[in-house]
Amino acid sequence: MQLPHAQAAVIQTVSADEAQPVDALARATDLPVETVTGAVFELEEQALVAVTERVEESIELTDEGVAYADGDLPEVTLYRAALDAGADDEPVSMGQVIGSSGLEGAQVDIALSNYARKGYGVIDSGEITADLDADPDADSEATALETLAAGDGDATDATDIDDDTIEQLERRGLLERSESTVREATLTDEGVTVLMEGIEESQTVGQVTPELLTSGEWEDAEFSAYNVEADAERIEGGKVHILRQTANRVKDVLVGMGFQEMEGPHADADFWINDCLFMPQDHPARTHWDRFALENPTHIDDLPEDLVERVERAHREGVGDDGEGYHSPWDEDFARALALRGHTTSLSARYLSGTEIGELEPPQRYFSVEKVYRNDTLDPTHLLEFFQIEGWVMADDLSVRDLMGTFEEFYAQFGITDIEFKPHYNPYTEPSFELFGTHPTTGELVEIGNSGLFREEMLEPLGVECDVMAWGLALERLLMLMYGFEDIRDIHGTLCDLELLRETEVTY
Amino acid sequence: MPTVDIAPDELRDLTGHDEKSDDELIEDLFALGLEYEGETEEGEFELEFAPDRLDRLSVEGVARSLRYQYGDARGVYVPKTNSPDWTITVDESVPDERPYVTGAVVRDVNLDEDALDSLIQLQEKLHATMGRKRAKGAIGIHDMTMLKGSPATEGNPSVRYTGVEPDEDRFVPLDSDKDLTPGEVLEEHATGEKYADLVRDNDRYPAIYDDLGLFSFPPVINGRRTEVSEESRDLFVELTGTDQWTIDKMCVIICYALSARGGTIEEVTVEYPDGRPDGRDLVRPNLETKTKTVSHDRVETILGIDFDPEEVVDLAERAGLDAETGENEDGDLVYEMTIPPYRVDVLHPMDVIDDLGRAYGFNELEPRYPDVGTVGGRHERTRLEDAARTQLVGLGFEDLLNFHMINETENFSRMGLASGEEAFGAGESTTIKEPYSEDYTMLRTWVLPSLMMVLENNTHRAYPQDLAEIGFAARVDVEGEDEANTETGVDESRHVSAVLASHDAAYEDAKARLQALVRNFGGELETPATEHPTFIDGRTAAVVVDGEEVGVIGEVHPKVLVEHDLEVPVAAFEFDLESLA
Repeated sequence: MQLPHAQAAVIQTVSADEAQPVDALARATDLPVETVTGAVFELEEQALVAVTERVEESIELTDEGVAYADGDLPEVTLYRAALDAGADDEPVSMGQVIGSSGLEGAQVDIALSNYARKGYGVIDSGEITADLDADPDADSEATALETLAAGDGDATDATDIDDDTIEQLERRGLLERSESTVREATLTDEGVTVLMEGIEESQTVGQVTPELLTSGEWEDAEFSAYNVEADAERIEGGKVHILRQTANRVKDVLVGMGFQEMEGPHADADFWINDCLFMPQDHPARTHWDRFALENPTHIDDLPEDLVERVERAHREGVGDDGEGYHSPWDEDFARALALRGHTTSLSARYLSGTEIGELEPPQRYFSVEKVYRNDTLDPTHLLEFFQIEGWVMADDLSVRDLMGTFEEFYAQFGITDIEFKPHYNPYTEPSFELFGTHPTTGELVEIGNSGLFREEMLEPLGVECDVMAWGLALERLLMLMYGFEDIRDIHGTLCDLELLRETEVTY
Repeated sequence: MPTVDIAPDELRDLTGHDEKSDDELIEDLFALGLEYEGETEEGEFELEFAPDRLDRLSVEGVARSLRYQYGDARGVYVPKTNSPDWTITVDESVPDERPYVTGAVVRDVNLDEDALDSLIQLQEKLHATMGRKRAKGAIGIHDMTMLKGSPATEGNPSVRYTGVEPDEDRFVPLDSDKDLTPGEVLEEHATGEKYADLVRDNDRYPAIYDDLGLFSFPPVINGRRTEVSEESRDLFVELTGTDQWTIDKMCVIICYALSARGGTIEEVTVEYPDGRPDGRDLVRPNLETKTKTVSHDRVETILGIDFDPEEVVDLAERAGLDAETGENEDGDLVYEMTIPPYRVDVLHPMDVIDDLGRAYGFNELEPRYPDVGTVGGRHERTRLEDAARTQLVGLGFEDLLNFHMINETENFSRMGLASGEEAFGAGESTTIKEPYSEDYTMLRTWVLPSLMMVLENNTHRAYPQDLAEIGFAARVDVEGEDEANTETGVDESRHVSAVLASHDAAYEDAKARLQALVRNFGGELETPATEHPTFIDGRTAAVVVDGEEVGVIGEVHPKVLVEHDLEVPVAAFEFDLESLA
């Protein structure tokens, strides 16, 4: 019979009378254990050998256990020191005994916690007594350690030691118990027959080599089989950050819907962040408490003068035949003050004003998925920096129905359907809606965005003469809704957990 | 979002709809834009409100809106008023910081416990919103039986709005038994301390007097003498502030709420001295309506459906407005809409169309996808960023995302760097004014500090840790230093930053990856030796792409590693993303 090299070696080594463990076979054949294991199973499949498995228990002392087996257990050391100090007569200060015992560091705690348990004496109010009746030479734990140290790590070493002691030593981290599966092989009758008939080694090849290919030997070669089911080494490939993946998914959807991407400054003048949006200067969101005002630099150098004038007029007088302004102060110095943008609607204002890429004629669609900054309280769902999805559509005569249709289409791409529109208030949109959607797994109604038609008080100064509908949404909110993250801090920021990032499934 | 507490039983009472269940009410309130947040300990609904309809900051106002929604009320309602008896005279000595005053008298109010609670809440919520925490407008409500008017012109009673020196006079404030001067109130009284900042810097403090003396110290606290209780029937309302329109509107909202509790409104005369602020006498509360002209065409295009004029008029009345049809100069159909005085949010005809939409029910509208064709596309900058990120991931880096805000210690000193140094990553930092958190005081000038912090927080995770971030960095654009001076004065850029942390990480590993990255973008990479305090001398080079120095590469200095509790070497590079463009 022809058998590959490893199988041929094993069948010629394995005995019909005595079961032999795989590692013994490996030693005898001078082959790696994995190879022999594979060969044994191959032979078993051909019914040439029989394989039995049994679980073997082993007991091994840890480094600490070996150290105590050589010397004394810390509590015994403490006992002897206590006796030397005369603690059998009357209580002695613990500090003194510990000092003379030579115990240090963690050993002190170990000694103290075992001392009383084993009846070597009493420790009370910083004083120690020693019980003369105690016999450290009869300490069952110490004896067990010595026995185990003398043995060969086999479970049979522990036969004479009671289970409680073994468990106690394991709890103290002085020994480790482990189980391993031992496979043993014996030659079957059929195997004996085959062996008697004679074994020939078939030519097998371990690795495809350049030589094998060029020489043409590969044509006659038989390739040795691998254990293809075995686990391979774990490697960490790089991965795009989960929040980036989600942002890119959103960008793909929006580009597919005909939106162009916007880009612009993170630190910007309040003029672009708020004044252009018809946000009154005494609006609560514009106080120090909500925004990140800059200390250095403090003000923007230049603003388009005529635009500033038109925006101020809108704030003071409103726009249109019977429009009204706010009854709030307006100061150009405040408009020029720099802050980290609280929303990316500052980009929309810049683009709509024509200062960014020139005058825009309807129709237009624009978006950005960029960072914004809010002086908020940090908690699992709120960060000081997060990504805002901002989008707007410019066209003649847009209606609320167009706005609703656009959002239904957008959110449907993320599995969020049955959108509800709650009429809402925003200083820069009218009508305004908060968007609510049904959570894909819990089924509850959750807020998923804010939207509306930009007010004429915002558009007219910017020079826009048609309708613009817009909406904003936190990307993190979408991520948490779609993938069920609970604490956003685990993934965004320097406190992120690499393991979590490595384990996170990719999105598509 | 701010919330207002509303008792459902009171709502049923005031709307006359006893049959409404709690759930039905919650649904009806959602349609008004008031979202149910939960229940208070007293079983009231906690409702989140948007700060436009400030007339709905009390159960009376919410009930009025519901009656319109149910069709029980239609059109504009303005309560009747009696002619003024009382006068508020304004002295020359009123502090310039708080020149305006307004007021009203409300008689025969039925103030039970619930009504009084509601009035107090309305007052607080108005202070928090329109009143800008009392700075712009503050309300004081007094029991009239305790007021003794001074005889004013023509023999009618009057009170006097004036200014006093901080310690000129004494009175007993609410929640106190002691006679205090206004100055002492700011120091010794809890409410006084809370609002002290509003008046502390004034030479003279605002004060209101009747014939018996000082009874109100706006915007801080009322006197105890005129405290309102459940027994009070006739109320004197005064408001002071920095804007006449604002306090007049707050006054109107209070009057509507008290009128819903059976009160009769009686006007007061406000007499400003000549030339201050405009020298006119006012009769208040100002319950005048105003009008907005809304075009029929605009109603149809905004709501996206066709309407008969009768329908629009009907919707307006259901929204609590009055509407009359007419024509504009071009002969197009328009509506003259009358707006009740308690509305503070109607600035433009669009606000009226929003009302019509709400009355129609926005959720009744059929969504449609707009028939507008545009071409989509990504911005070049983010395309470049994504392309570089894809290469980095291909080279085995874990892509990270860190905060743009950091502090000076992390950004500079823990990296062994000083901001004034001539080194990549140094530069004048963009700083936050009065930051809350000492962790976030500036924008990072480079990205490597963030990556080092991630390594520091992940020493318990498996190595190698090959991390990269393409991220935002900013520094103050010092004039004259750069040719391209930015508009905002902040030079914002994106950096490519990467670290290789493992037991055998070395310069060569970082350079191999940097080479691959730059080569993929067709760039020419050179790495002339340089010195940088973050890196080990002799193992540091400048990153030069196409002849321009754009970054740094090297083995991180042991002092920086130890500072970050790292026990493995780290090789790193960082450079400006634009160099790959």
